[in-house]
Formats: sequence, structure tokens, C-alpha cells
Amino acid sequence: MRLEKCWFCSSTIYPGHGIQFVRNDAKIFRFCRSKCHKNFKMKRNPRKVKWTKAYRRLHGKDMTQDSTFEFERKRNRPQRYDRINTEKVLQAIPKISKVKATRQKDHITKRLSVGRVNRRTEDRRELEQSISLVKAPSVLKEDATLTLPKQKVTVSYAQTENTPMEE
Amino acid sequence: MVQFNFKGITVVPSGKEMVDIILSRTQRQTPTVVHKGYAINRLRQFYMRKVRFTQQNFHEKLSAIVDEFPRLEGIHPFYSDLLHVLYNKDHYKLALGQVNTARNLISKVAKDYVRLLKYGDSLYRCKCLKVAALGRMCTVIKRIGPSLAYLEQVRQHMARLPSIDPNMRTILICGYPNVGKSSFMNKITRADVDVQPYAFTTKSLFVGHTDYNYLRYQVIDTPGILDRPFEDRNIIEMCSITALAHLRSAVLFFLDISGSCGYTVAQQAALFHSIKSLFLNKPLMIVCNKIDLQQLNALSEDDKRLVDEMKAEALKTLPIGGDPNAEQQVLVTMSTLTDEGVINVRNTACERILDQRVEIKMKSKKINDCLNRFHVAMPKPRDGKERPVCIPQQVSEQRAKDREVEKEKEKRKLEKDLENENGGAGVYSASLKKHYLLANDEWKEDIIPEIIDGHNVADFMDPDILERLEELEREEGFRLAGEEGDDFEIDGDNMTPEEREALNEIRKRKKALIQEHRIKKSTAESRPIVPRKFDKDRQFTTERMGRQLSGLGLDPSKAIERVRSRSVSRGRKRERSVAADGAGDDGMEIDNDGKGSNKRLRLRSVSRSRSRSRAPVEEVIPGEGFKDKEQKVKAIKLGKKSVKKRNKDARKGEADRVILNMMPKHLFSGKRGIGKTSRR
Repeated sequence: MRLEKCWFCSSTIYPGHGIQFVRNDAKIFRFCRSKCHKNFKMKRNPRKVKWTKAYRRLHGKDMTQDSTFEFERKRNRPQRYDRINTEKVLQAIPKISKVKATRQKDHITKRLSVGRVNRRTEDRRELEQSISLVKAPSVLKEDATLTLPKQKVTVSYAQTENTPMEE
Repeated sequence: MVQFNFKGITVVPSGKEMVDIILSRTQRQTPTVVHKGYAINRLRQFYMRKVRFTQQNFHEKLSAIVDEFPRLEGIHPFYSDLLHVLYNKDHYKLALGQVNTARNLISKVAKDYVRLLKYGDSLYRCKCLKVAALGRMCTVIKRIGPSLAYLEQVRQHMARLPSIDPNMRTILICGYPNVGKSSFMNKITRADVDVQPYAFTTKSLFVGHTDYNYLRYQVIDTPGILDRPFEDRNIIEMCSITALAHLRSAVLFFLDISGSCGYTVAQQAALFHSIKSLFLNKPLMIVCNKIDLQQLNALSEDDKRLVDEMKAEALKTLPIGGDPNAEQQVLVTMSTLTDEGVINVRNTACERILDQRVEIKMKSKKINDCLNRFHVAMPKPRDGKERPVCIPQQVSEQRAKDREVEKEKEKRKLEKDLENENGGAGVYSASLKKHYLLANDEWKEDIIPEIIDGHNVADFMDPDILERLEELEREEGFRLAGEEGDDFEIDGDNMTPEEREALNEIRKRKKALIQEHRIKKSTAESRPIVPRKFDKDRQFTTERMGRQLSGLGLDPSKAIERVRSRSVSRGRKRERSVAADGAGDDGMEIDNDGKGSNKRLRLRSVSRSRSRSRAPVEEVIPGEGFKDKEQKVKAIKLGKKSVKKRNKDARKGEADRVILNMMPKHLFSGKRGIGKTSRR
């Protein structure tokens, strides 16, 4: 039993899912669902289709090179079963995937942080430039913070009569 | 030399046929539909393709013809001479040459027209060019029609030529017509040659095969040769002459002693002497046929002398190492009618051929290679002693042991037996893991994990995976430590919630401005600009101004007062307004004031606003005609209602909640054009 990768979107194909296509030159194409299969039949290049892993890796949206990828490598030589080694591997796999996941996340965060910084500076600039739309200049002169001015509310007549003002 | 396969030449179509075939092929195998609306390049391509296709096909067919017909220089001289005799070398070469030139001409035509087509500017012109190209090609083919017909004839005749192997052991039978050559042929081979009393029954070469001493011999029957000068000979005789000249074989010269063929011995002898030059280096035998009619001994003196002369010639062809019965080998008698001596003749001929060939081989250089390869040893028995078979004792012991081991194997317990013991085929399932070779035999029954969390376990298998994992975690620790510093920097420049609020407010205002501008912009040309006093939307009210100003953080009261003082009022004096302005100054910052000033302001502002405006609407002014305040209010209300704008927007109002048709027919009946009607 082996979990394969979809040729189009690179997601894992679990048993009982998807379609396998064998071409006349004996190359095997595996698809996780009919969406990928139909895209393949339309001769679409996964490197140009935005939602596939191939596109994301190619355009640097996702992490490409990392030492965690070295752990998971398809070996073509069969290995003799060894209980000790298998136990070790089973312990190690979740930790490796955790590290891989954190690294992926950090990669994306780093990529997006540039935008964040830009947005922040833009907001600040907008605020500084257009504060006059919400705050009169005279008010701004007195209260130089870039916040909404305190509203002048006319208190009702009855209220002022009854409630004694605290000094 | 490999013998040329005359039967393998493809059929040569006639000129007309060829044209038909190729044109119809062009029609079928190139695209046929074209419209004049297509791009000009496409039209050109279309027609060029047709022209090129036709040219290629012609080229192919003509090349096939030129290649498949044998070149007279490249085949055995016997065949080339035979072909020359039969079909005239020059004519043959000419025909093939014409086919070749036709091929080149067609290529040239196609090239020219393709070049012209590149500049064709309309469908019609391209089409004309194509028609012209194809037409010219077909004319070329039509012109070589006679050559093609000739080649077809040649081909048909060539296919029927007897397949003579020039290198095989051959016996050639020659002599005057009607001497009994074909009968002899029929006797020794399976060939069924025509035997008739008239001369020239055999008109061409015939081949038969005969066996002697486990070897196969070719026997060639020739048409009769007449004694004529060389130039006068006809085609049939030339065939036999050719055969005589080129085939290295034994020659059997047939002699009819009885003269029943119609020619005397003298005539036959004369023939013999005229063609004896062809018998050089060939084992020659004089065969005297029809001895049942005339015995050899009973010949006349002259005839016997002639025969002796011939025998003398024949003797010269014998190998030098003389044989005791040389005479017998050279001059033989037989009768095909009585079968007397036929076999003898054949045997002698075969022997002679074999001798000659062996001699030639012995003289050649290759013989040493052959001789080195074989040696037949014939040991002679030394004495008459008996020597039986002897097996050493060890061998017999070993054999006995082997037999025992086999018996043991039969007694070993098989899996099958195990199965039968434990309940049979359906009940017992053999443990396939029993014979696994593992480091530790306890692991044999383990279930090997294959998949975990969407990963293949086998992909991770590595003896030192834990060390690598440790390294990785260390690296990760360093990396995370390094990254925490970076994060703080970015988060420094954050906005406070109040600033955020201000920014949102700014954005809202901007959007509102843009929207308004858009509305104004789109309707500005078609909308009349209404002066302010007819302010339908109530844009220019003091409340609004007050709201906006207070939104900006300013105190609107002063501004409102100013505006109201400037507005039209009913007979109020200016002085009051000035005084009011002065009082208004105190009211700038309400926050800091005590309640007293508020009150003051409020009362004042109320009274001021009232006093400067018109009389209140509800106040009954005597003379208007109202009974009391209530009536006036009602009247005003009614008045307002009457001026209310009618809803002519054709939009459904409250009174319009009517469903005219609860079950329209088209929704509740009828079959669908496509699909199911399981819901309505």
C-alpha cells in the first residue's frame, strides 16, 4: 500500500480515490479527483494553474528547498524489515512533519510580512494626510493626536437642572 | 552472386492507369475543402501540398520501376545476355532511361509550379496553377506510355523465365532440333517438356532437377540449334547459344544417328564443329540417341569417322589424369524410347561434372582452409581381444546415494500435507511469513506499518534517522530563536485603536464623497441646478451643518446663530442680533462650563431662535378662518398630504400584493424537453 501524489495538484491520493492513466509510452499519471483529471485532459499545464502545488512552488509561494524534504525520499530498493528501525521511524515521523509545518508557515509569514509593513506605512500616511476630513484644523492644533475629536454634545435642559454637576 | 528474382518486380501500370491511380490518390489523401475566404497563405499551402503530393507519388512509382528492373551490368552475364537476346538490350535501356527522365521532368515541373504558387494571389489563380502543374505531369506520363507498356511486357516475360542458378551443378543438353533432348529431359527430371514431331517444339530454355549421389543437379533443356552463321540466328537459337556460352556446365551434345530428325550425321557434325568453341573448359559428352533405330556399330564409314572426330574433340576436355574407360565417359549411347542407357548417361554426366568441380576447387587457394578442417581417421584393430564396459566403484556408490536422497525427498512433509491436517483448503491458510529471513525471528509475525498520517513509512526508512532528527531539531531551535527578534521589529509600528477608528472614519468619508461626486457627475447635465431656497433634499439646514461641525470637533452653536441671524426674519431689528453675538462667545466650550452658563445659553438660544423667526406654524392668526389650533394643524396636515408626490415609479406598493394566478399552467403541466419532472 502506498500513498501516491496527484500528478496535477500534488495532493496525496488515498486508497479508493482517483484515477490512474497509463499512456502508451508506459508513463503513469495519477489523479486525486476528476477535477485534476479533467484539467489534464484539457492539456493544462499545472505550472500555470494557480491552485496547484507545482505553481506555488514554482512562484515561490511555498517552501521549495529545505532539509526536511530530505527525510522523505522514495527509495526504489526494498529493505529488509527491522523492528527497531521501524519503531524509530514511527517516532520520528510526527516530529519531522511538525518541523516541516512550522517552517512552511514561517516561510509564508515571511513572504506576507512585506505586505504587512507596506500596508501599515500606507495607513499611517493616509491618516496623517486626511485627518482634516474628520478633525477641524483648529481642534487638531490643540489636540495633536491623530484621533477622532471629542464630540460636542448639547446636553438636554432637564438633565442639567436635576443632576448636580460634580466638580 | 545472389540470383536476381525476376518474379519480384512489381507490376508496371500503363500510362493512363498510372495517371488515374495517382490523381485519385491525391484526391483522397489530401484535404479537399477550401473556400476563397481563407487566408491567402492557407490557400497557397493547400494547393502546394497537392502539387507536391502528386509529384512525390509519381516519383515513388517511377523510382520503383527504375530500381526494380535489373540493370544489365549488375546481373550474371548469362542473364544479361539472355535478356539481350530476348528483349534487345538497347530498347530495354532506352525504356528505363525514358522512365528516369520522366521522373526528373516531373520533379522539375513540380518545383517550378510550387515556386509560382508561392506568389498566387487568389484562390482561382492558385487553382489554375495547380491544374496546370498536374496536367503537365500527366502529359509527361502519357508520353512515356509506350515505354511503360514495353516494360510491362518485359516484366511479364521475365517472370516466366526459368530460374537457373548459374553456380549450381548444371547439365546442358544441346543439339539439332528433334534429336530427343526434351524426351531425355523428361526421363531424368520431373520437368514436363513438350515433345512433338515437329522441329522447334522447345522454344525456350527449360530447367529440371535431378539427383545423383545425394546431390542435386540442374538440367537445362535448350531449343534446337541449326547450323547457320552466327548473325542469322533467331532469338530461340540465341537462347541456347547464350546458355552454352555463359553457364559453366557439362554439355551433352545429342546426336541422332538414325537421321530420323531430318538431318544427317554430317550436318550434325558440321554443327558440332562450328560451335565447339563454346565447349571450352566444359566436360563434353557425345550422346548418341535413338540407337533402337540405328546401332552405333552399324554406321557408315563416313559417319563413323565424323563421330570419331567429335569423340577426339571431346576427349580433350577430359582431365589429364587418364581414366581406363575414358572412351566410355565421352561417347555414350542411349535410347529414350526404350530407356536403354539413359540412367547411365546421366550418371556419367554427373560424375564428370563433379570431377571437374572438385578439380577446380583443389586448384583454388581456398582449398587449404577446407582440407585443414577435416580428417577422417580409420583406426585399424590391433588384435581380436574383447574389451567390455568398465565403471569405477566410486561412481556406482555415488549413484546409489543419489537414489536414496531422492527417496528421502519424497518422504519430507509438504505444505500441502500441513494444510490437509489443519482442516483443508478453505479452513487453513498457510502462514506465508514462516520462511522470512529476518535479523530476529521474533519479528516474523509483525504487521509492517506502511502509512502514517498521510506519509509512506517506507520513504522515511533510514538507520540513523534519530540522529538526523536531533540535528534538525537543534537547527530549528536556533532558527526560531533568531526569528523572534525580527518579529518584534515589525510589530512596533502598530496603530492604536483610536487611530484605527479615525482611519476608518476617514475612509468612510472619502467613500461618501466619491459616491456623491459620482452621482452629481452622472446627472449634472440632465439635472437642473436648483437654487438653495428650493432645497428639496433639506441639505442646507442648520441641523445638518450643526451635526457636521460637531462631528469635526467644533462647536456649531455660534455658526448656527450667525446663520440664523442672517436669514430672513419678520421685522426684527439688527441690534438684537449684535447683542446676541456677544452672548454667544461664552458658549464655545460647553465642557468646561458650569451648569449656569449652560442654562443661560439654552434659554437664550431658545428665545433667540424663536424671536427671530416667523410665528410658529400652529399659531392661529385671526382672519385666516380657523376655529382653533387643532383645526389649523389638521388643515396643514391635509395640505401637506395633497402636495405629496404621487408614486408614479411603477413600483409595487402595498395595494399591489395580488397574485393573479396561483397555478399558472406552464409551470404545473407539460413534459420537459430534457430532464426529469420529479419536482414542480
